[in-house]
This record gives sequence, C-alpha cells and structure tokens, in this order.
Amino acid sequence: MSESAGSPADADPTVVVDGVTKQYAAGTTVTALDDVSLSLPRGSYTAIMGPSGSGKSTLLNLVGGLDTPSAGRVTVDGHDVSAESEAERAAIRGTEIGFVFQTFNLMPRLTAVENVALPLVFDGWSREDRRRRARELLDDVGLADRVDHVPAELSGGQRQRVAIARALAPDPALILADEPTGNVDTDTGATILDIFDDLHAAGNTILLVTHERHVAERAERIVHVEDGNVRTIEAVGEATDG
Amino acid sequence: MDSRESLRIAVRSIRAHKLRSALTVIGVVIGIASVITFATFGASVQAEIVGDIGDSSAGNIYVFGTPEDEEGFDRALQPVFTESDVDALREIEGVEAVLPRGIIQVGSVRQGNETLARQQVTATTPESITSDSVVSGRTFTPGENEIVVNERMATAFSQNLTAGSTLTMVMPDGEEREVTVTGVVTGTRGELPVGQFARQPRIFAPVDPFYESVVESPSAGVRQRAYPQVTVVADPRRIPDTKADIEAFLAESDARQLSASDTELVARSGSDFVDSISDVIEQITRFVTGIGVISLVVGAIGIANVMLVSVTERTREIGIMKAVGARNRDVMGVFLIEAGLLGTLGSVLGVPLGLLVGYGATRYADVGFALALDWMALAVVVGILVGVVAGLYPAWRAARVDPIDALRHE
Repeated sequence: MSESAGSPADADPTVVVDGVTKQYAAGTTVTALDDVSLSLPRGSYTAIMGPSGSGKSTLLNLVGGLDTPSAGRVTVDGHDVSAESEAERAAIRGTEIGFVFQTFNLMPRLTAVENVALPLVFDGWSREDRRRRARELLDDVGLADRVDHVPAELSGGQRQRVAIARALAPDPALILADEPTGNVDTDTGATILDIFDDLHAAGNTILLVTHERHVAERAERIVHVEDGNVRTIEAVGEATDG
Repeated sequence: MDSRESLRIAVRSIRAHKLRSALTVIGVVIGIASVITFATFGASVQAEIVGDIGDSSAGNIYVFGTPEDEEGFDRALQPVFTESDVDALREIEGVEAVLPRGIIQVGSVRQGNETLARQQVTATTPESITSDSVVSGRTFTPGENEIVVNERMATAFSQNLTAGSTLTMVMPDGEEREVTVTGVVTGTRGELPVGQFARQPRIFAPVDPFYESVVESPSAGVRQRAYPQVTVVADPRRIPDTKADIEAFLAESDARQLSASDTELVARSGSDFVDSISDVIEQITRFVTGIGVISLVVGAIGIANVMLVSVTERTREIGIMKAVGARNRDVMGVFLIEAGLLGTLGSVLGVPLGLLVGYGATRYADVGFALALDWMALAVVVGILVGVVAGLYPAWRAARVDPIDALRHE
C-alpha cells in the first residue's frame, strides 16, 4: 500500500519514504514494513502512533539511518540514506538527524556539556566551538547551571532536556523522538512536549513516535501504523477546523 | 574523530573501573619490570667490568687452562704453570711482568678469639701489589710470614686490621701459622676481571713460604712450584703480538705437558674478557627478556579479556555514539585508545618498578648503577603496542555492534 502524505505544494520535503519494505530473516521471514511511503514536509511536526509490533520503530530506525530497507528508498534532506555506506550513514546521523530517546541514552561518564557536544566531536568541530555551542543549547533548555554534571546527578526531566540539546547540537534537518515522555512523570512530560512545540515553532522538522494519544495530538498530524502499513493519516486541529 | 576526545572517554572508562584496570595491567607491569630489571642489571655489570678492565688492566694478559668439555672446571684450576714457564714468559718480547697466582686453602683465620671460617688466600709475588693500590702499610716480603689484606678483610674482624696486626691462619691439616699484616690494599694487579666483580674479603700472601703446590717440571726435571693461573703484564700498545707469542710458547710449555690433552691453554686480554662477559650478559638478558615476553603475552590476554567485557558492558554507549554520528572507526578508536592506555599504564608502572628492582640488584651485587636507556624506550613502546594489539579484536567487535540492538540493550 502506498499513500502520499506531503502537501502538493511542498516540493522539497525533509524526509521521503518511498515504497519501503523491511524484512527480517528470523527463522521465517518477518515483514516489519510493507511498501510504505511517507513524506515529511520541511518544518512539519508529525506523530507516529501504533501498537507494539506495528512497525513504527522500524520506520523510525530507517528514517534515522540506523537501518537500511530491504526495498525502497529513504531520503533525508536529499541524502539517500538507503544507498549510502555505513560511514556515510553515520555522518548523516551525526549532522542531519537529532535523536531523542525514551531512555535518554546519555553517555554515563560524560558531563551534560560533553554529552551535548558529542555529535560535534564526530563532525570534526574544535573543542572550543563544541563547548560554546553545547553551553548555548543547555542554556536554551534551562540547564545552564547543570553543564558539568554527569547524567546520574540529573533528574529524568533534566536528562531528557540534555538529550534534546544534544539532538539540536548539529542543527539537524530532522528531529526524531522515540517516546520522549515515556520515562518521565506527567508534569515533566508536559514540559518536554512544550520544548518540542517551541522547536516546531522555530521551524524544525519533527517526527515523534508515541503510543499516547495526548502526546500525538501535540503534532500537526498523526500517522497510524499497523501491521507494517500506514493505515491512516490524521490531521490534528486542521481537520476539525475544516 | 578528535583523538583527545577518544582519550577523554578512555580515561573516564578506566577511572570508572580502577581495580579492574589495575589488575589487568599487572601482567604488563611484571613483563616490563622484569625486562627493565635485567637490562639495567646487565648494563650495570657490564659498565662495571668494562670500567675495571679499562682502568687498571689494559696491559693484562691472563694465561690459564680451559677444558673443552663442560664439566671440567676443576681441571681448569690445576696447578700446571711451573716456575720454568713463568721464567720463560718473562723472556717474551713486550712482557713487563709475570704475576703467578695460586690459591692457598686455609681452614680458618683467627684474630684473638675471633675466627673467620674457610678463607681463601691468594698466593702471589710482591710485583702484584703496586704502590698505588696500597692504602696503608707496605707490601709483604717474600720468605716472611707476612700478608696484605684488602679493605673488606681489614674490617672483617671487630678490631680493624692495620699494618702490624697479627693473625693466625689455621691450615686444613690443623697446622697453625702466625702471620703479620704488613698493609691494606685496594686490590692486586693481575686479578682476573671476574675476581674483581665479587668484592669478598681477601688475603694476599707471598708465594714463598706459603704456596706449596709443587710438580716436577718436565723441562727442568726438578720439582717446582706450579700455578693454576698466571697474569702477564705487557706493553698495552703491542698486546696482540705479545698474546700471539705467549700462545706460541704455551704449545711447548711445561703446562702443556702437565695438562690433560683436552685442556686448552689460553691467553686472554682484558678486552677478550669484556667481549665474553658481554656475550654472557647479553644471553642472560635475552633469556630474561623471553620470560618478560611471556609475561607480556599473558598481560595482553588480560587486556583483551577485560576489553571484551568492557565492549559488552558498554554496548549501549556504542549505540549512542553511533546514533550521534560515530563511524565504525571512531568506535574502534575509542576502544583501541583505551587498550593502548592500559598498556601504557603497564609500561609507566613497570619501568620504575624494574629500575627499582634493578637498582636493588646492583646494590646487592655491589656494582655501580647504570641505566639502559634504549631498553627503557623499547619497553614503553612494547607496552603500548601490547595494549593496542590486545585491543584490536575487542575494538573490532565494538565497531561491529548494531546500533539498533545496542540502543535496546539494558
């Protein structure tokens, strides 16, 4: 099944998923995604919802350049992620994509500022430039007084804000968030989602995976994935506004 | 990737597991330390011997018998060089002095009621005692019951020996001989270089009346004193010629006829000794280096093992690094640097430890301390290499970690 999700006016989408199939050989062949197509316009905010095993994580991994499709094409900001070498995909992950994970995934022995600066290390920034950029970003997420703390000294919400700052460090074309509020309490979750709203307002392209309806509703539209297929694409707000 | 950043990550990781890292580098420390110890000790002994021979023995040619088979060391000390041989050696061109040296077995030496058991007394001639080796007193007079002692011997009794002190030498057959100390010396001319190495308390006595090893001289046909070793003092500028002449004479000497046919009579100059001792030291050093290498291999296995554990423990970190743009070779670099750092740590700890033990060994053997700088540099390089080589496979495993699995890893 194939469905176009980009508005016709958007000639230069940030992400294009074109007829992507992903199969795993686990004894028998398991099809995690079956000929999925999707387009994320520049500056859009999209949520993916679906039950576990629906293929939403696989889709996220493919868009994030962590995995390659069995068939089809994934392009991020013009880079054909599916065709690139391992080293080139690593470079795309480091410069074009910012990941925010449910479990934060910060380096445990690096301080907040070092964690935020980590993507810039692999992109060849100088130490001074990295630290300056990392400090600015930590300041933006309200952690200016926590720059030299290691993750174990930070609360869950603070850790997720460090992770968001890290995702923003290389000024990526796309922010990928996998259940970003899954490991924090409701109030903190709301703060995190406010930050995503701010990022969207500032023009960032965001793709967020969640299983919570109220989280998904913060996005512009919700892509429902089921059994390896995109079932429906629901426009939030605009649909009710007409 | 910025290698300083890799280094930072590696240092943090090692610090996070201090005990584990310390235990891991022990193998490398032992390997490096043992090599450094023996390299230092070898260099020190070599420097000492070369120094001794260079200082005082440049003109010495040592004449002695050496058996061709291995178990014949006792026969090397057979008294075969007769007085006739000594006289003949004196006639050779370029020879300045011939110093016969024999050993007098003494059961014990007594001063008052203090007894030192089993002393060895060297019998020689007054020529062996040069004026600049005399610390106090004078040399002994042939024919008299007089002796000189070295500085160690002078302080061996609770009451120091000086010129004029008397001692009682108890011979193995129980006979007691009263002797007078006439002087204290630093050493004697004509000692084998290996003899100078062990600075034992020593007593030197005149051949007459103490030395009693006698054989019938085949050339003279009469019974004469005979010595196991003779040192020829020659003009240092024409040592090779003199040595050749001595060797030619030895073929027709009394000693040749008195020695077993498989005993080779040799004339060795000081530099011959330096060469052969250097060879021995080199062989020992090589042997110990072999042991050190085994230790380093064990150390390398230890590092590889811990690095494999580390890769498993840090699978998630590898996933994070890859997610934020680390290429496989960046990940590999982080782990290689960590392994190399463990090897470096082993070197950095092993070198001073080896120097310390080596210094202790030189003090124990009473030789001057000399540094083996080339070995130290080599040890550090080898230590780092051991770490890096040990880290290759774990680092390769780390680089191949699938980021998706790694990020799910608990």
